Amino acid sequence: MRIETCHFCSQPCYPSKGITFVRNDAKLFRFCRSKCHKNFKMKRNPRKLAWTKAFRRAHGKEMTVDSTLQFAQRRNIPVRYNRDLVARTLEAMSRVSEIRAKREKQFYVNRMKGNRERGLEADRKLVAENQHLLPPEYRERVEEVLKEDVEVEGMEVEGMEVEVDAEEVELTVEEQQRLRAQQKVQAKKLGTKQKQKLVRGKGVESGGMELDD
Amino acid sequence: MAVRASFENSNEVGVFSTLTNAYALVAIGASENFYSVFEAELADVIPICHTTIAGTRIIGRLTAGNRKGLLVPTSTTDQELQHLRNSIPDSVKIQRIEERLSALGNVICANDHVALVHPDLERETEEIIADVLGVEVFRQTIADNVLTGSYMSLSNQGGLVHPKTSIQDQDELSSLLQVPLVAGSVNRGSAVVGAGMVVNDWMAVTGLDTTATELSVVESVFKLGEGMAPGSINTTNKETMVESFY
Repeated sequence: MRIETCHFCSQPCYPSKGITFVRNDAKLFRFCRSKCHKNFKMKRNPRKLAWTKAFRRAHGKEMTVDSTLQFAQRRNIPVRYNRDLVARTLEAMSRVSEIRAKREKQFYVNRMKGNRERGLEADRKLVAENQHLLPPEYRERVEEVLKEDVEVEGMEVEGMEVEVDAEEVELTVEEQQRLRAQQKVQAKKLGTKQKQKLVRGKGVESGGMELDD
Repeated sequence: MAVRASFENSNEVGVFSTLTNAYALVAIGASENFYSVFEAELADVIPICHTTIAGTRIIGRLTAGNRKGLLVPTSTTDQELQHLRNSIPDSVKIQRIEERLSALGNVICANDHVALVHPDLERETEEIIADVLGVEVFRQTIADNVLTGSYMSLSNQGGLVHPKTSIQDQDELSSLLQVPLVAGSVNRGSAVVGAGMVVNDWMAVTGLDTTATELSVVESVFKLGEGMAPGSINTTNKETMVESFY
């Protein structure tokens, strides 16, 4: 018995579960549960519903192009039974799933890279744009802080330039490490300041803020 | 050699079996009588495979094949496909086709060189037929019936078509196929000759109701009479053979 995947959410449909719809052009649609069947009857597009595999694939949230994914495909040309081949296949199966898990993990890491920086950037922009919403007595202080902020940013840019220069003239490893440490400290400072600002700017709408830590 | 047989009291032997020059498929029935008919004629000559397709016994109507290949519909399970691969010689290609018209035996009529297919078959399927069966493919109808596989029974020696096929149609088809055609019936007047009988180059199996007249037509058009079997070339072709060998 073959375990098919759900037409809607791509979850495996085990025997006795779900329902199968046969369209009058003889195409089979399997559904893993009534939720998927109902959504299909409502003519919803699985690519637009965030809980389906189709959505995740369409939006780059999962691996789509990978050699490990081809092992689950349906094959139309059979291969004659061969004991050695079967033995080797069984061995390969566990190895393939191992490799696949590893690649998926790496994919996730790459996908999440830079989230924190993007979040901070968005927050900073929000506060800078919506200063007028703050009570008047805070505005001066905010301006001071923002000025500091700009200075810090400028420093950061300088630091990066310095680093590039340093690489060009090939500074010693120690110096480069020192520079990196400095930058890290700056980044931390930025982070803490950001939080403080948020506390101060309670009047600011927090709808658009995304703090991914 | 033409023999009469029935599958569980049904005359439609073409529904429950497929016969080619390289293998035979027989449905799994309650008794082995039907299988025995094939075994008596074909044992030690070609492999005979007991099988189901998509869990059903109507394998003759669901599959299409010839000496070079076998096509099975998309509803065939993985297990059945594997079983077919294991019991049929390696020289025969087997492929599962994703086609809307899943009764391939009804829509494809093939010998080892030519195939006549249903006009509505997909282009992709047509290419697969040409590749797997190694044949030229023509979209045709037989006596205005689109089901070429049901209304025609074809071997490399000749062909039997629906009894109401006009003379012009017969001429056209036989010029395409390059084999002689005869309009006739089987099973006491049944027009579905493809479903009522199976044939290869040296034997035919028809339904139990086939009359002597029908059987003699079958034997003459498919050249199955005594001395026509591959083992007894020395009767008709003896002189030419002697000439070419010495």
